[in-house]
Amino acid sequence: MYEPRVPRNFRSAYYEKVGFRGVEEKKSLEILLKDNPLDVEKLSTFSQRFPLPSMYRIHVWKVLLGILPPHSDSHALVSRYHLEQFEDVSGALTAMRFVHASTPATELYLRMYQLESRQLPRRSELRPPDDEDENFLAIGRAMEEIVDDPVDCYWLIRCFVNQFKLKFGDSIPHLPKSLEHFLSQEDAALLAHLKTSGALHSLPYCLWFRRCFAGCLPESSLQRVWDKVISGSCKILVFVAVEILLSYKIMLMGMSDPDGVYNFLSNLPQENTDAIVTKAIDLWHKHCGTPMHSV
Amino acid sequence: MSREQLNMGDLLPLLETSDLRQLDEIKGLINEHLNTDRGSVLLNGLVDYFLETNSTQAVHILSSVREPHDKHLFDKMNECMAKAPCRLPTLTLLGHVVRKQPSWIHKITRYPLLLSLLKCLKVNTDVVVLITGVLVLITLLPMIPQAGKQHLYEFFDIFGRLASWNLRNLGHVPEVYLIHLHASVYSLFHRLYGMYPCNFVSYLRSHYSMKENMDTFEEVVKPMLEHVRIHPELVTGTKDHELDPSRWKKFEIHDIVIECAKVSLDPKEASCEEGYASMPEHFCAHLQQRPADCTASPYGDFHSSYGNTLILCEFNATYGFKDSLWSPSSQCGMATPPSSCGMSPNPELSQSASHLPTRLYTGGRYELALSGCVWPVLYFKSLHTSCVFFSDRLTKPFYYYKILFIFILPLEISLYNFPSSILSAAITEELLKLTEEKRDLAGLRGFDSPFFSTTETLTGAQEKPLPSSILGSSIRDPHNTISTPDKIEITPGDRGRVSRGPSQEHPWSFQPVFMPIEHPTHSHLHRSPSAPEDEALKYSFCSPSPSKPPPLPYEALFDLALPRAASLFVGRKTSEIRGDVGKQGEEGGIEGAVSASPLEVLDRLVQQGGDAHDKVLKRLPLPSKSADWTHFGGSVPLDELHTLRSQLLLLHNQLLYERYKREQHAVRNRRLLRRIINATALEEQNNAMKDQLNLQSVDIMSLRESLQVEQQRYRQLWDDRETVVTRLHSQIRQLQQARDDYYTKNQELQSKLQECQKRIGEMEAELQKANNKVCHTGHLLNQLTAKLSSSESIQQQLSFLNKQLLLLGEAHKLCVQELHQAGPDTSKEVQMLQTSWGKETEHLKQNLLLQSQKLDAAQQRVAELETQLAKKEHLIAEQKKFLEDVKAQAKGELQASESRYQAQRRVTLALQTELLQLYSRLETEDSSATASALPAEEDRKSPQSPRGNGSTLLPAQPMASSSPANSVNGNRDTPPPFLVEPPPHRPHSPLGPPGPLVPSDTPLTVGSYPSTKSFLGMRARELFRNKSESQCDEDEAPPPRLTGLSQGLKTELCVEPTAKSTSKNKGCVRQSQWCNYFNYHPLSAFLKKGPLKDAHLG
Repeated sequence: MYEPRVPRNFRSAYYEKVGFRGVEEKKSLEILLKDNPLDVEKLSTFSQRFPLPSMYRIHVWKVLLGILPPHSDSHALVSRYHLEQFEDVSGALTAMRFVHASTPATELYLRMYQLESRQLPRRSELRPPDDEDENFLAIGRAMEEIVDDPVDCYWLIRCFVNQFKLKFGDSIPHLPKSLEHFLSQEDAALLAHLKTSGALHSLPYCLWFRRCFAGCLPESSLQRVWDKVISGSCKILVFVAVEILLSYKIMLMGMSDPDGVYNFLSNLPQENTDAIVTKAIDLWHKHCGTPMHSV
Repeated sequence: MSREQLNMGDLLPLLETSDLRQLDEIKGLINEHLNTDRGSVLLNGLVDYFLETNSTQAVHILSSVREPHDKHLFDKMNECMAKAPCRLPTLTLLGHVVRKQPSWIHKITRYPLLLSLLKCLKVNTDVVVLITGVLVLITLLPMIPQAGKQHLYEFFDIFGRLASWNLRNLGHVPEVYLIHLHASVYSLFHRLYGMYPCNFVSYLRSHYSMKENMDTFEEVVKPMLEHVRIHPELVTGTKDHELDPSRWKKFEIHDIVIECAKVSLDPKEASCEEGYASMPEHFCAHLQQRPADCTASPYGDFHSSYGNTLILCEFNATYGFKDSLWSPSSQCGMATPPSSCGMSPNPELSQSASHLPTRLYTGGRYELALSGCVWPVLYFKSLHTSCVFFSDRLTKPFYYYKILFIFILPLEISLYNFPSSILSAAITEELLKLTEEKRDLAGLRGFDSPFFSTTETLTGAQEKPLPSSILGSSIRDPHNTISTPDKIEITPGDRGRVSRGPSQEHPWSFQPVFMPIEHPTHSHLHRSPSAPEDEALKYSFCSPSPSKPPPLPYEALFDLALPRAASLFVGRKTSEIRGDVGKQGEEGGIEGAVSASPLEVLDRLVQQGGDAHDKVLKRLPLPSKSADWTHFGGSVPLDELHTLRSQLLLLHNQLLYERYKREQHAVRNRRLLRRIINATALEEQNNAMKDQLNLQSVDIMSLRESLQVEQQRYRQLWDDRETVVTRLHSQIRQLQQARDDYYTKNQELQSKLQECQKRIGEMEAELQKANNKVCHTGHLLNQLTAKLSSSESIQQQLSFLNKQLLLLGEAHKLCVQELHQAGPDTSKEVQMLQTSWGKETEHLKQNLLLQSQKLDAAQQRVAELETQLAKKEHLIAEQKKFLEDVKAQAKGELQASESRYQAQRRVTLALQTELLQLYSRLETEDSSATASALPAEEDRKSPQSPRGNGSTLLPAQPMASSSPANSVNGNRDTPPPFLVEPPPHRPHSPLGPPGPLVPSDTPLTVGSYPSTKSFLGMRARELFRNKSESQCDEDEAPPPRLTGLSQGLKTELCVEPTAKSTSKNKGCVRQSQWCNYFNYHPLSAFLKKGPLKDAHLG
């Protein structure tokens, strides 16, 4: 649907060269979003190819994650349902005294998620959150930053986690291998160093691949990574990781202690992440090719 | 400065020193000072000094001052000109300066000096001053040719004034002066005429057209005009053109002088150049020799070429003799270089010769010393010889003797002082000889080459008297008047006009002899120079001292000029010079040549001679002087001494003027010589080229000869070839003839062959024709046989057919007969049949039409229906699509609601678990409190627990995943019998509440009703309503409704069979749970009553 954008503006060919990204993309995205039954496939391809404009990001995410149906007519109804469901569940939790007014939103989301996935423990048997819960919480915290509306936020977290588990649950254990592979292509010396220092196996894989960099990158950068994840690619995580390693190569080469490496990578400096993500996306495009529309 | 100046002033007198070195030093000092100092003080001092002392050294210095001093010099001289007493020396000085030709001399036109000079010339009455001034002016004119034009008419005025002066003698000056003046005016005339002919002639025309001037013209100017040719400028030029500065630009000074001389017919003034005057060959030869002496400094040359000088001396000797032969007094002329080129070499040589003894020969010196006694003798001898020549020329011997007498007498007088009787004897001897030789010479005359022009002889002749007369005039008045060269120059034909007195008449009487006018009558008198040379040689050989003839004329001159004083002076001079030379010898001899030039020496000599003469004259008793003067009856001037002195001065001036002219000639000669050298070089080149040309022509000749040889050989070869060619040609011709014969034969044979071939061809054609005929006839034969057989068969058939025809005819007759018998019955039937048949076909046709119409309609209908069908199908597809769309939309919505439903279920589950937990806690608390109630409770529990167990069993996943917390419950719910019961239990409950089960049923019914009583009921109702509202509306007959509900659910969720079963099961479980809940919960009764419910709701 966005193919006919070519004759629209003869300057468009130069925008990208000069560095103006997203001028044309935004318009084509608007065209995409105007379709009545939204073409989810096209949307996901678009999201893979181009960065999403932030004003449409949440909407696109919702559609891609199946929170909103492709028919825009039923959006209102569906969102009303979602609101009611959220209220019901949160009300039930409040009634059951799992949560109260001062409970942090993320915990509420976690409990709701647990409840909805029938994993809510009994109140008397509440335990400190395990790894999975922590992952959920981290993602929730990041999403909370991105999304203002708690209902949307909950639904996005819920569907994101569900989709991530469902789609990439099998491939996540293979991601470290893949990281090693691409790192060897990009910078063999760094890889060798990591290997010799033994840090390769103690990299923060959980943080990177299970939490999808939530808590590692600032939200502004993170949402661009998640664009790609939501639109169906978990490989981008690998490339972000590679790019992080490459960017901090000098420091990493200076560290031989695996714990030090782990600590450093777990608490990355928050600046310059945008560039890292941009490079990572480029790298991803380079290695996996620019995803084209299947149709 | 002033002190130095003073020193300089003091130095000036020292210039007169005799010490040469000191003189040089002083000169150097003064020159140096002049170079450094730009002031005019020293220069003025010098001028003053010169005016006082007439010092030659001062003149020398003054005439060679450099550029910045010229102004001072001119100013100073101008200043001096204003003073009458200084005028003459100033003019003299100016003359010196002008003759020196300094580079700045042309500037004189800018200074008032020139104007004052001109003014002086126009106003002054002192003849000496005038003459000097005129000479200066004449000298100056060529140097300022273009500047002169503004003063042109002043020049002319001066000329007019002086010319008339000559005639009118305004100032009553002595005639001697007039002669000088005339001479100078003559020169001025030449100069002006030569330089500005047009202007000058126009001036003359205008000036002498006036009556008062006519006599002047007749007397003075006309004779002058006779001595000039027509100036070319008079023809080609105009007045303006000749004043044009560009005209003068190409001329140098000497060029102008020569130009002026060219137009002169007067040999004194005329130039020898360009055929104006021819000259003796040996003079020319001599001219060519001159450069050796002239270009280089004469002294150096004399030093280096000693032998040469000897030759030159001899030369001089001859010339000297020659000259002396012509006229003894010509020796004086030697001193002043004559204007004519022909004579110029002589004086120089004689001069150099005269100096030779003094400087080079020690012997010569002695001879010089002896000259006092010896030379007079020689002189006389030469005098006699000249007289002889005169006598040769003169037709009147009386004149000759007169002249001789005139000449000799004073000499004899002067010679009386010499203590030699020999002299007188010699004279007489000579006189005797002369008379004898007169005859011989007359004979010799015949050998005179006639080709020498009269002018040449005239130059020779006239020059001789000139110097002598000068000297003579300087000595004595009578002599002056007789033979003043100026007079001779000016008025050759004007004899006796200027001179007065009878004695003067005599010398002039012979003058016409030399005039060109009288030339034809005296052609026999023409003398070639070679003749005098011969004679001179003769005489030189005869002379007592032939070895030293050159100095003779010169010294004799002095002796002649200054009879007594000269001898004294010469003696003193010789001793002086000897002393000098001795000094120089001491210093290194020959280097002494540094001293002044011979000309200067001459000047000095004349000057000093004059001085000495003065002294002597002063000492002499007056009578002797007067005796001298009166001796010839000349008028005695008032102040003889003064006259003499000024005459001397004038002479000196003229001498200087002449010398200046000579220098100009010398410059010109040098240039000419260079041209000659160039010409000779070119000639040489030309000769060389000619030689080359000859060589080349010789080459050409030889080449031509060889060419001829080659041509001959070629011709021979050509002939040979010709013969061979002709022979070959004849052979060729023969061969060609033979070939032609063969050719004709061959042709004949070939024609025969062709004929034969033709004949063969004809025969063959005939053969073929015959064959053809044979074949044709055979074929015809075959055809005929075939035709024959066929005609036979046809004949047979014909007969057969005839028979058949016959038979058929018979049969036909029979048939006709039968036909006539049959009749009309059959035709009616046929007609009937035909009509019926026609009708039937018509009917059938109509039917067919109908049927086809129906078919068409049906077909149209089919098409219509088909389009409708397509439309419908399209519609259906659209509908399907729309349905799909709607389905998808509904599916999305349904999913949302499903998820909501699920969430609700999860919520209720969670709530249930919580509830159960709470119950369990309550029970544990109650068990301890009431033991009595326990058995009853256990009874109730027993049927309930199996249900719970069953629920755990049936939906396995939820129970399993619902956490281990259920295990506590599970323990309670373990009793299995409940599991079996539910299916039968359900029909029980609606049928009727049996005993204890009733309460448990009622809640169920209550629950199935629209729950208005309790919160849970409401919830349950909502839940049900969501699933199927219709069933909720029909509250009655719950069991079938429940089943219906389950059925409806089943149909609704038919997509997933598993889900259906689970839901069904769940429904059951829920039912049972609800049953349990209401049956066994202690609160149920309370709830049933409602207040709690209300409170809860509120």
